[in-house]
Amino acid sequence: MRVLFLMIKENTNGNRTAKWLMIGPPLLFLLIFFVVPSLIMIVTSLRYPGEFGGLAPIITPAGKVSDGYGLTLEAYQFLLSNSLYAEIFLKSFGVAAVTTLICLIMSYPLALLITRSEKRFRNLMVLLVVLPLASNFLVRIYAWMIILGPESPLSHLINTILSVLGVAPLTLLFSPFAVLVGMVYVHLPFMVLPLYTNLEKHDPVLLDAAQDLGATSWQRFWKVTWPLSLPGVFAGSALVFIPVLGMFAIPEMLGGTGDILIGNLIKDQFLGTRDWPFGSALSIILTLAVLSIAGLTAWFTRQSGGMKYAE
Amino acid sequence: MSFQNFYVTMFVAILSFSIPFNTSGSDQEENTNSIARKENILYLFNWNHYIAPGTVKRFERSCNCKLSQNYYSDNEEMLAKLAAGATGYDLIVPTGNAVDSLIRQGALKPLNKSLLSNFKNINPTHLNTKFDPGNIYSVPYAYTLTLLGFNQEKMHDLGLPTDTWAIIFEPRYLEKIKGRVTVLDSQRELMAAALRYLSYSANDTNEEHWNQAKERIIRAKPYWAAFSNTSYIRELAVGNLWVAHGYSNDMFQAALDAKRTGRKFTINYSTPKEGGVLALDSIVVHKSGVRTDLAHQFINFMLDGRNSAELTNLIGSGNPNMDAMKFIQPDIIRNNAVFPDKDSLAKLEMLQDFDRNQRRLLSRLWTEIKLR
Repeated sequence: MRVLFLMIKENTNGNRTAKWLMIGPPLLFLLIFFVVPSLIMIVTSLRYPGEFGGLAPIITPAGKVSDGYGLTLEAYQFLLSNSLYAEIFLKSFGVAAVTTLICLIMSYPLALLITRSEKRFRNLMVLLVVLPLASNFLVRIYAWMIILGPESPLSHLINTILSVLGVAPLTLLFSPFAVLVGMVYVHLPFMVLPLYTNLEKHDPVLLDAAQDLGATSWQRFWKVTWPLSLPGVFAGSALVFIPVLGMFAIPEMLGGTGDILIGNLIKDQFLGTRDWPFGSALSIILTLAVLSIAGLTAWFTRQSGGMKYAE
Repeated sequence: MSFQNFYVTMFVAILSFSIPFNTSGSDQEENTNSIARKENILYLFNWNHYIAPGTVKRFERSCNCKLSQNYYSDNEEMLAKLAAGATGYDLIVPTGNAVDSLIRQGALKPLNKSLLSNFKNINPTHLNTKFDPGNIYSVPYAYTLTLLGFNQEKMHDLGLPTDTWAIIFEPRYLEKIKGRVTVLDSQRELMAAALRYLSYSANDTNEEHWNQAKERIIRAKPYWAAFSNTSYIRELAVGNLWVAHGYSNDMFQAALDAKRTGRKFTINYSTPKEGGVLALDSIVVHKSGVRTDLAHQFINFMLDGRNSAELTNLIGSGNPNMDAMKFIQPDIIRNNAVFPDKDSLAKLEMLQDFDRNQRRLLSRLWTEIKLR
């Protein structure tokens, strides 16, 4: 938003119509796809659940007792009534943070490798990174169910090694480990791509200069490449962290009996317990959390000074 | 931010937001709302895989119309779609408690029995349920039982019983099959199993009883591999699972799959002696549909014994149609887990809806179960 206002200021001399043509579409986009749905969610969270799904009417129908109609803070009171819900939020944030970190550690070397390979291979390599997205998400998760299943070759191999070492056999599928594998696998491309677009623009001369001034290869990475790549790191992290936070399909399919995340809880309210207000209240808290993370990311990006270079 | 960077970011953003929604889309959704309704099309909102393809073809020939199906995999999903404004369905096939919900919402059209000459085929045992006394709105279509499916040989080798809920709730049995058991990811079904195991009704609303059931579930949970609503079919059939809490028609499928792929074990299933849940699915006519004529034609067609039997032969669902019995494969009729005898039937219950506050309470209990 701030960028938009700056644009208005800079263009004060310019033509008013052109200005609105510039900021109109993104503004409209935000209005339709963010502001309006959020308002609907807020109002929904303040109503009573309908007996058959949906919502109870705001105005008490004729001939009915007024209990259960109108507006209420009940959903929020219920949310605060038990520490369960806070625990699930914390757990989901934990899973999202760990997934993001693993994605970052796995993607960074790959993105660097792509940037530093010959130009004619680069597009091919980027294509290979994106290629898994061409097959259906659910099919890929089912594939992981086969790979991690107790009768799979991988499980047999791991458990054979473990039994030689005298360790009790492991179950890979239906565990927090399987959830992490699924999360990382699905979101990896979203970390690689922003990192690659950032790293690709670094001027190789900078590294040469650092070397001439006596920097070791570690110092060249840590003092030159890493700080310059921070905008890419933040962009990739946001693109991984946020979808993971709302993901319900992966824990449902790969997770065990304890792997419930906030996404599953929200889905349950709509498709399980006919409690749309409570589902909306949970969603609002989640949206607020995501917004504050996006805000923090933007702030960090600005602080790291990388933005100047990227522009 | 350069333009190239912007486009890549947008591309990634769009991809990342489109992916999670792939999980529950129906590609025919728009059809029901937008197509001009003068055409000869009957819109059926049905469970996945709940009518034999051959039956559909024969019906389309006989009525000179087209049958267009949308699918759901859960009653709540179907009710949620309707509550969110989905319209245009002539027919729906809900389970008992969802029939009740739809009737109380005033969402159904009463049946014109004079158009249903085959209605007499329905076994009176399945008529006059408390959800629709007198069957003013609903015609029984098929039923399933919630029960236990198991790997026959494994259970025999381990010396475990297969006719009791104890097998999924008692640690002394579970420790032999740790990590090889799944239970349904459904608050109502799992609570029903635990409540029946404790000799309470599946529809019990006593909070104290609920807590006892919760304790049983939490105690048994470390031994379960997962909560699973569909994947247990495959996992049982390939030998990854040895016991699964699930639906009779899914167990039928798992047994068939194991047999067809030549596994060295057999999948069997039975209703626990403590009793369980019977889900009777009925056809109802929705108010938003316009082809009431075709709808009745379809219901009468499905009430014909031969057509009704096709579904049972295909998916192993229970059949309330007396005329269908002579067309059903004898080994399915003999299966007490598909066609329960009088004694077993007496111990089966149909689930009833809870009210708003009970639902919230149960939901919190469920969240606690999942988290602990």
